Amino acid sequence: MSGERLRIVGGAVHDPANGVDGEVRDICIEDGRIVASLPAGAPTLDATGMVVMPGGVDIHAHFASSSCNHARRLIPDEHAADPAPAPSLLEGDGRSGGGGTVPTTFTTGYRYAGLGYTTAFDAAVAPLLARHSHAELDDTPCVDGGIFVLMGNDEYLLRQIERGERDRARDYTAWLLGATGGYAVKIVNPGGIEAWKTGQRNVTGLDDAVSGRKVTPRAILETLTDAANALGLPHPVHIHCNNLGVPGNAATTLASMETLAGRRAHFTHVQFHSYGGEPGKGWASAAARVMQYVNAHPEVSVDVGQVMFGPAMTITADAPVEYLLHSTSGRRWTNIDIELESGCGIVPLTYKEKAAVSALQWVVGLELFLLSQDPWRVVLSTDHPNGGSFLSYPALIQLLMSRTVREDTLKRINQKFLAGSALADGLAREYTLSEIAVITRAGPARLLGLTMKGHLGVGADADVTVYARDPDIAAMFSTPRYVLKAGRVVVEEGHLRRAPAGQRLRLAPGFDDAVLRDLRKHFGAHGSVSFDNYAVRELPGEPLALGVRS
Amino acid sequence: MSDEQVFRSVTCLGCGCGCDDLEVRIGDGRIVGVSPPCPVATRWFGDGSAPAEIRVNAKPATLDNAIEAAALLLAGAERPMVLLGPDLTTRAQRTAIALADALRAEVDGATSDTAAAGILAAQRRGRAGATLGEIRNRADVILFWAVDPRERYPRFVERYAHGGSRAHLSVSVGSDRGPAQAELAVELAPESELEALGVIRAVARGQRLDGLPDALRPAVAIGERLLKGRYVAIVYDAEPGQRPRDDQRADSLIALAQILNGPTRAMLAGLRAGGNRSGAEAALTWQTGYPMRVSFREGHPRYRAGRAGVERLRARGADAVLVAGAAASLGPLPLKSVPGVVIGPGASGVAAARVAIDTGTAGIHEAGTGYRMDDVPLPLSSVLRHPHPAAESLQLLLRALRQRAPGR
Repeated sequence: MSGERLRIVGGAVHDPANGVDGEVRDICIEDGRIVASLPAGAPTLDATGMVVMPGGVDIHAHFASSSCNHARRLIPDEHAADPAPAPSLLEGDGRSGGGGTVPTTFTTGYRYAGLGYTTAFDAAVAPLLARHSHAELDDTPCVDGGIFVLMGNDEYLLRQIERGERDRARDYTAWLLGATGGYAVKIVNPGGIEAWKTGQRNVTGLDDAVSGRKVTPRAILETLTDAANALGLPHPVHIHCNNLGVPGNAATTLASMETLAGRRAHFTHVQFHSYGGEPGKGWASAAARVMQYVNAHPEVSVDVGQVMFGPAMTITADAPVEYLLHSTSGRRWTNIDIELESGCGIVPLTYKEKAAVSALQWVVGLELFLLSQDPWRVVLSTDHPNGGSFLSYPALIQLLMSRTVREDTLKRINQKFLAGSALADGLAREYTLSEIAVITRAGPARLLGLTMKGHLGVGADADVTVYARDPDIAAMFSTPRYVLKAGRVVVEEGHLRRAPAGQRLRLAPGFDDAVLRDLRKHFGAHGSVSFDNYAVRELPGEPLALGVRS
Repeated sequence: MSDEQVFRSVTCLGCGCGCDDLEVRIGDGRIVGVSPPCPVATRWFGDGSAPAEIRVNAKPATLDNAIEAAALLLAGAERPMVLLGPDLTTRAQRTAIALADALRAEVDGATSDTAAAGILAAQRRGRAGATLGEIRNRADVILFWAVDPRERYPRFVERYAHGGSRAHLSVSVGSDRGPAQAELAVELAPESELEALGVIRAVARGQRLDGLPDALRPAVAIGERLLKGRYVAIVYDAEPGQRPRDDQRADSLIALAQILNGPTRAMLAGLRAGGNRSGAEAALTWQTGYPMRVSFREGHPRYRAGRAGVERLRARGADAVLVAGAAASLGPLPLKSVPGVVIGPGASGVAAARVAIDTGTAGIHEAGTGYRMDDVPLPLSSVLRHPHPAAESLQLLLRALRQRAPGR
């Protein structure tokens, strides 16, 4: 490996983190990193006329978890319809698999690479099942990755909140991240999953008592946001708000943002949380209101969670939502209550152009993108596979870059809930290539605190995607000409050539040991797994150092 | 006594309960004590002694020679099969599936023969489940359907379903007996089981039922009692020693647990046997998309949901077989007519195996991960050493096969 060099020549470089906007320049790579220069005679990769970007960074997807594995079981028909033979690799051995909305692990890694994405996070892992996620990540090549750890309904945390033990909550957060090999703190429907398990079914307001206890969604949001920020985590708390998918939920979303005003926080798949209207009385877009707040508050970041028409798989810890979806649609439904921590609900779904709610969701997502004034804080996601597969990112990029394409679709779709929507009124904005580079790599990398990702400056990981220009934007982004991972070509002309194991991105923040004695008691009284067996052992690599922020 | 070594918080794979609170004492290179003294755990750990032979054509061989002979045999097959027996770590299972992929073989697990009904029903319907700790922490009504866990899952009730003010309900179906002690105990004739489940579902939906025959009235009582629960757990044997009388039992129970989530909260717990069987299904699912009965013959996974691998092998559906894991648990295998490689605990006891490599047992000699019946992964300890860990032997075989056919 030592001394492996490559010079990518002649490409138009889009490296917004370093202020490079389409200038033709060389990218020099040595030992898996970007370097300032290489000696003459170093091997070259000709990118003349092509577009060069850092490798894509997926800030929010579901692809390596016990929940995903339950979802895979529900779709044997999808796997059969989308077989994935083993790729012929120049080095190492390829594995076959299956696709569909929730592909098998090896296929997931290959397809991410095929799309030019080289880093991805599974955004919802119950701590008890973290060991499973790491095993799946071991079998997901080509991408560096990690997991976000579900904490917003965690029994031990709720008890600390009830007692006003904020410091203990912070220590627990730190311990849990280290014990699970996690990268970020995830909150899903704060308090709502616990309510689902107790028979309260759900919470709806930020000040609802969770199952009659002295805990509210607001207190959960504040406690974990402060814990993550006090620990100096590279990514702030990652929040899936209450009332997902309910008409009128933008009020809850805005109230959640306001309660955390001034504090760093990331709000995820906000498309699913930006609806006006009222339950039982109809829906409307509230994207403009939500984005107005985001635009005005630099401490807030979001990813969109765009809905794309076609098959999807809803997989979420937000189990009460999935029950609602099942009971109103009659579709197959898996629910797994996860002791002391979280839940899991799964319902397969298809978003249809002619369905009024699907059409509204599609519009709301696009409005969020198009009304955003700071692409660095508004990340591209489909909440894969909830709003659509990550394979639909190129089609989404095309919608953002081409007003014509989205207006063609807009004409076809159900108009029932679109009255007064900004998109229907005509949003002329078209994303530039550099803005696309921001929302798909530079922005998410910065929000994740990954200083070595999402840019092509000296010292960065040499994860690079080279696209051949094509007037068909979706085609251009679907099949990059070259994808490099840590300086080596993994995809060439649409073919996978290498499938290296990814790096595990994880943290192990420090904490006051006193929490351990208390935790041992807690596990003894309520857990079904011995405290000694809880932490995941034998994780690959070393935890990333804290406090290194760009 | 001074050289006794004690391992604590040891996970037991004797059944699917995944008790991870065992204390295992080692003296003189043997297991001399397992506590608490669960009969299944005691039997499963035994004294920890395990054969460590390597044979090719019934003669002693070196590991290198055995791997080479195994690779030769399997690479030459046109219709190879891989069977995942129990007692492997998940790492070893993953490697065995990689072998099947490389060989374009069929692959199936030990449970395809015993637990298929529940697996297939859950694929059709989904399911309402929970991790076992939710039963312990929340269930106030527990319905045991045609099973008394004390027999085959001795610590299930003690660990997950005991104490507090919870009510136990018991349904016996013919000779499949529920627990004798229960707040409400009901006997059903096997032929009325599905009808009774239909009645309970109707009660759960709030439907009025008039003119029911006497034999089905107890089902109404069960349904009404379930509705009084705040969190209902339904427990059945998803992997009974013998097949249930009706494969539709699992399907009906899944439907009942799902419906109960309207009026109250409910989960269904399928009791599963040990040896990390659930882990094999999990690994098969993430690597192939299917939990069992997979064929790589066309160069990618295909679901052969209809028939278990062991049955297909017995019907000569393969011309060579690799058995990874404890072959003894798979029942009689036709290795006299289908040449076989056996890599797993007790392999040398399979008389007709062309190649046999004894390995350690997951959780006794090999550390790693094993899955509880509720898909919770647990760390496994190695309390004794074995010269040939299964994961490594399978990895060597994979490497040997790939050297023969690079790129796959």
